[in-house]
Parts: sequence; structure tokens; C-alpha cells
Amino acid sequence: MQDTGKNIIIAGVGGQGILLFSNLLSKYYMKLGYELKISDVIGLGQRGGGVESHFRYSNKPVLSPFIKAGDVDYLLSFEQTETLRYLHCLKDDGIVFSSTFELSTSSVNTRLEKDMPESKTELIKKSGKKTFIVDPDENKSSDFDISKMMNIVMLAFYAEFRGYSHEEMIQIVKESVPGKFVEGNIKAYEKGISIARAKLA
Amino acid sequence: MKKENKITTLKMMNGNEAVARGAFEAGVKVASGFPGTPSTEVMDYTQQRYPDIYCEWSTNEKVGLEVAIGASFAGYRSLAVMKTVGLHVAADALGGAAGSQINGGLVLVVGDDVGRIAGDDYNDVRHYGNMFNIPVLEPSDSQEAKDLMVRAFEISEEYSTPVILKITSVICKTTSSVAIDENYTYEVKCRKKYPVSFSKVIMTTMMMNAKGSEHPKLIKCFQDFPAQMKRLAADSNNFGINKLELKGKKIGVITAGTPYFYTKEVLPDASILKLGMVMPLPEKLIRELAEHVEQLYVIEDGHDIMEKNIKDLGISVIGKELFPKFPEMTRFTPDIIEEKLVPNAPKRTPMEGIPFRLPVSCAGCSHLFISQILRNHKIKAASDVTCGLIGCFPHMEAYQLQKCMGSSIALAHGFNVATDHKEKFVGMIGDGGFWATGINGLMNLIFNDSQSTTIIVDNSCLAMTGGQHVASSEFGFNYKPENKLEIAKVCEAIGVKDIVTVDAYEFENLEKAILNAVKANTNSVVIVEKPCVTKFKLPKGDAYSIDQDLCTQCRKCIKIGCLAIESKKGKDGKVEIVINEDLCVGCGLCSTACKFDAIKS
Repeated sequence: MQDTGKNIIIAGVGGQGILLFSNLLSKYYMKLGYELKISDVIGLGQRGGGVESHFRYSNKPVLSPFIKAGDVDYLLSFEQTETLRYLHCLKDDGIVFSSTFELSTSSVNTRLEKDMPESKTELIKKSGKKTFIVDPDENKSSDFDISKMMNIVMLAFYAEFRGYSHEEMIQIVKESVPGKFVEGNIKAYEKGISIARAKLA
Repeated sequence: MKKENKITTLKMMNGNEAVARGAFEAGVKVASGFPGTPSTEVMDYTQQRYPDIYCEWSTNEKVGLEVAIGASFAGYRSLAVMKTVGLHVAADALGGAAGSQINGGLVLVVGDDVGRIAGDDYNDVRHYGNMFNIPVLEPSDSQEAKDLMVRAFEISEEYSTPVILKITSVICKTTSSVAIDENYTYEVKCRKKYPVSFSKVIMTTMMMNAKGSEHPKLIKCFQDFPAQMKRLAADSNNFGINKLELKGKKIGVITAGTPYFYTKEVLPDASILKLGMVMPLPEKLIRELAEHVEQLYVIEDGHDIMEKNIKDLGISVIGKELFPKFPEMTRFTPDIIEEKLVPNAPKRTPMEGIPFRLPVSCAGCSHLFISQILRNHKIKAASDVTCGLIGCFPHMEAYQLQKCMGSSIALAHGFNVATDHKEKFVGMIGDGGFWATGINGLMNLIFNDSQSTTIIVDNSCLAMTGGQHVASSEFGFNYKPENKLEIAKVCEAIGVKDIVTVDAYEFENLEKAILNAVKANTNSVVIVEKPCVTKFKLPKGDAYSIDQDLCTQCRKCIKIGCLAIESKKGKDGKVEIVINEDLCVGCGLCSTACKFDAIKS
């Protein structure tokens, strides 16, 4: 086992399938025999609240369920305001995977506070971290609804980046999602591989 | 348990799931309680995974605990699940059970919203341990959540006391591996030791007036509860769940729950006393640690309860003077411990100016329709808790008064009595809040001859906690159509003069119904029907959109507070008000708010 473990934050807003993402990833690492701790922080409200998942796998027992700021290897985020919230948690050589999707916040909508003047995508790119940006609008497909399946697109991207077996990952997806969603999820996964290959080339 | 066939496997479980497994292994017969984040899923998992255990969501936490107490007296291990705020409702029942004779083990699984992650107030369940002199156990991960659940029942029976298992928003939502025996066979535990079980009132009367008397009738009623707790405190020095890890002599930490792991990660050389039972305290172990180290700290989430209890023993510890509690800190993190106790630790601060997210109702929620009507007509109203509470936040401004679950009807009544019914203050309540305790407020206002209007939002479930059933739902663990309670019929039986039922999406009818009810000089109930859009996944209508040529950006539609309506910068940097078509359910409420006909289906 060369990889001794990593600390990952998965972020986004309610309804984006963050918990499914960490569930699928946990099954992959379980199969590899790693120890895991996954801690989900879910805000108030059923939809639209911030969600963060602290995902830690290691070849030693994992202690803290929360990752200390500065100890995060990978930040995977499905909403770019949420990406900004965790940039400071990354290690110096930490890597960002972020969607450009943005759900404007209630406080900005109702002018309780001002939105950030700069483009959030640019702020992420300027963070000094290695960054992969995925734009859901550029990758729309008639085969699946990318607004609902960005989690699976990102899972494929991450698996490609880490050099993991797509076959095994797709098998986990098949075993874990309800039957009627399997086809769409596999299309989303395949899309994720092709986006990743283009970006990583 | 078939010990000969034991096959231990590791399963990934979150804390709630592990507690349910613990209940199963403890041979629990009855599980009751009331939903409340973060501990709701304890019941859901118990009901789904372990059909041998009788499960019920009770009408409220007090009823739930009383059901468990009754089952425990019958001799069977019973659990009641609720969140700390719910235990406030059930506190009287707990006071009755504390110090009484326990037959089958009685365990309260109580979810503390450490860090206000689920949005509760800054409560701490351990206060009940101090107040009622009962033990509190606290796990640090899922494995312990399962193990302590079993241990809690043993302690409950051995020391004749209800036991609180404190689980937190972190424990409940953290998944880690749990070793379980796949071949474990469920076995109900039954123990009938005491022929009677009375509240402490009976015993304290005995203690004060009949001490020393040997009459069998007195002995039957008597239970020396202070002695039981003293014995438990002494024994706890030898409990395996309280672990003294003596290492370095510089720093000693007394801790419990997930902060134990934060401490271990940040201070690998520290000597640690890790408490699985946080009440009563193992005095000998604490003194042993105190003598071993130069400086002793308490690292505990929530209030400074262990700290105060340790100081009461005459032992000096550093707690909140170094780690100030709310509002400076809502919960411990490894970062906070590092910042305070590790020299030259790097400090990392979040980016500034990132907008925050206030809670928003789901698109198409019936609460949005009611808030809109109350606002438009400047009707003053009290909100209840759960999803309707969102209407109180500053981006909504639909309500003037809001307190606790089930309160709004009585709050409105009180306001109306004080203002001689001149202002027609309205009470809005969900179906969950109505059945929980709101119904008492309604009975109260009727027989006290009040004229308040009550709006009952019937979304067929307890929406905020994920859609559990209530008395008027058409589903549920023990559901039978003939037992479904009808809100309208109950209101009628209570004596409400004027009862109207309206569909939330029929905006004009709803508006008329609320205005009529408020105007009338009698008590009235408007029942607003619409199943919860998120729980019941209602079929979506065509999404609405905003014609940017007609939109004047008056922002009346934004004021509705719908998740689907956003104020967004376009690619050219100009702000537009847009409807997110992925989120819009096509309810059309926003089109009623637009004076410029800019919003169309």
C-alpha cells in the first residue's frame, strides 16, 4: 500500500448528492482495506443550505472526524461559493476540484449583504493551488441531468486523476444507486472521465 | 447470543445507526420518542433494521418518554429518543423516573446539537444529569456509540436509574467502522425486580419521616437512590469505559466524546483521561491524572459542566478561561486545541467576504404562500418552529413572534388577551407542532373564551426532520387508516367555531380564507393543505421564468424567499433576477407577486 491516506473535503449545497459521493468513495477505499472516518456537516433546511463532508482514509486508525485547517489534500466542491469557504483548509500542495455552479445565497438575494465583487471562479484560480474547474453549462448532455449528477461527474474526474479503476468505481455506482438512475449515472460517470482526460492531458 | 458462531465483521455506520445496533444487541423491546435533529435516525434505523423491536414516534417527547418508562416497569429494556430541546418537554417525566425503581433498563438517547450544526440553541443535555442525579454516557465514535448503548442498559439496571446516552451532531453524522457479530441473535431481556416504581416524592417522604422503620410496606416503596449513585460514582473508577492514558507529564486532559480524538491528534504526548461516563465522575482517576501532570485541562463540548463538577471536587483545572464558550466558540475543533496548546502553530483563516446562507424554504413550500399573505396584508402573527420558523429570518420578515415547538397558538392567545383582541394576532403552526403540544393551546383558548385565528399547515409529516409521520399522516410505523386523526374533526370537537380547509396553491382562496378568519369576531382555524414538496416529491409543474425586458428589479418576487429565485450577476456583470429552472416546481406563487407581468410559465 503506497498511499498511506488522504484528507478530503467534499462541499456544496443541499440536494447535490454530497453524501452519496462520500458514500460511493468510502466503498472504494473500504475495498482497498483503508480505515475511514467520514463526518457530514449539514446546515439547517432541507435544500439550499451548505453541506460539507470531511472524508479521511488512512492505513492507520483515523482519530479526529474533522480535518484540521491546513491538512486537506483535496477539496472537491460542487458549488463555487462553497469552494471559497474551504480554500484555506488546503495543504500548500493541496488540489481543488470545483464546479462553476453557483447557488446565490439568501443574504445576497435579499441584499442583507453584498456579493463579492470579483468573479468567484477567478478567485479560485488565483488561490495559488492546483485547480481543476468543471463548468456544468459547457458539459450539458441530453443523456443525463448534469445539475443533479455533478457528484458522479466529479467522482469520475477524481478517479481518473488518482488513476483508480473506473470499472470498480462504476460497479460501486451500480450497486449503490436505485435501478432507474443507474443508466443516467453511468452516462454522467463517462462524461466525467472524458472531461478529466481533456483537462489532465 | 450464539457465541459459538460468532463472525465479527466491520461495518461502516454513522453514530445513529450504531446506537440502533446497540439497542438491538441490548435486547431492547420498546423504542419511543420524537424526531429531532441530529438523533432522528436512531429511530429510523431501529425500525428499518430490527423489526423485533416495537417502535413508535409518539405525539411528543414527554409522551415518548412516558411510554418507555411504562415499558421499563413492565420489565423490558426500553429506550426513548429525542434531541436535547425535546428533553426540555420531557423533563418532568425524567424527573419522575430519576431515582425510582427500574425493572427493565431505561435509556434516553438524546441528541445534543453541538456546534449548532442543526440550528438548535446552545443547549447541553448533561445539565439533566446534574439536576436529576442520573448518569450520562458519551461516545467518541460509532463503535463506542454501539458499545455504550449496551453498557447504558446494564448500568440502568444495576444502579436502578434512567441513563442518558448523549450523542452529538458530530457523533450522529460521523461514519466509522463498527465491529459486529453477523450471527448475533436478538434476545429480549426481561427483569422484574420491583413490584412498584414510584417517583422520588414517595421516597423522600419516606426518608424524611420514616427512616429506620422496617415495616414491609415502607420497604416496598423505598429506594435509596443517593446511595445507588454514590456506589456508581465509586465503581466508575474501575469502568473500562473510563480510560486513563498516562503519558507525558506536562499536559493532562480530561475529555469525552469526539473532543477526545481532536485531543489525541493534536497532543499525541498528552496524558488523557477519556470519560465514557461523564456523570458521575471517577474521582480517583481524576486525582491520579492531576498528580501525574503539571497542568490539567478540561476539553469538553457544550457547557462547562465537567469543568464545574471537577472543580467541585477541589481539583484545579483549566477550561473555559482558556477555551471561552459560546459565542466565542460553538464547538471544539482540532484547530482550536492546536492554537491554544501547541506553541507556534500555524494559523489559517478563511477568506473574507464570502456571503453566508440563511435557511431558505424549499421551492413550492406551502409556508411561502402563508408568509406572503401575512406580509401583504400586514397581519401580525406568531410562527411555530420547524419549517415555518424560516419565515422569521430577516430575509423573510413574515412573523413578529416565535418561541418553542407548539407554542404559537398560546402565544397569539396571550397577545390577544392582553390587547383586548383589538389587533387580531394570528398563530401559525405546522401539523407536527399542533399534535405535539399546540393542541393544548387550542383547547386552552377555546375554554378561556378567546377569539384567536389559528393557521394549521398540514403538510402530512414532520417536514424539517426529514418527513416522519404525525397523527394525521397517511403512513407511519403503526399506521392504520381507521386510526388517522383528522385535524378538522379534532378542531371541531374541541369547539372551534369556524374551520376552513384550503389548498395552499389556490392562492386567492387561501388569501380569502385567512382574511375572513382574521376579520371574524370568533375563534377560527384555517387548515392549509399541501403535502411537503421534498418528502413526497410532488410532480413538478412547468418552470416559471422572468422576462428580463419587463422586469424592473423591484425584487418583490425575491421577498417571497423561494430558493429558486436568485439575484445573479450575468456574464456581462449586470445583476438579473432569475428563476433557477432546476429548482422551480411551477407553483406560480412568484407570478402573483409581480405587478409587471414579467413572470410567466
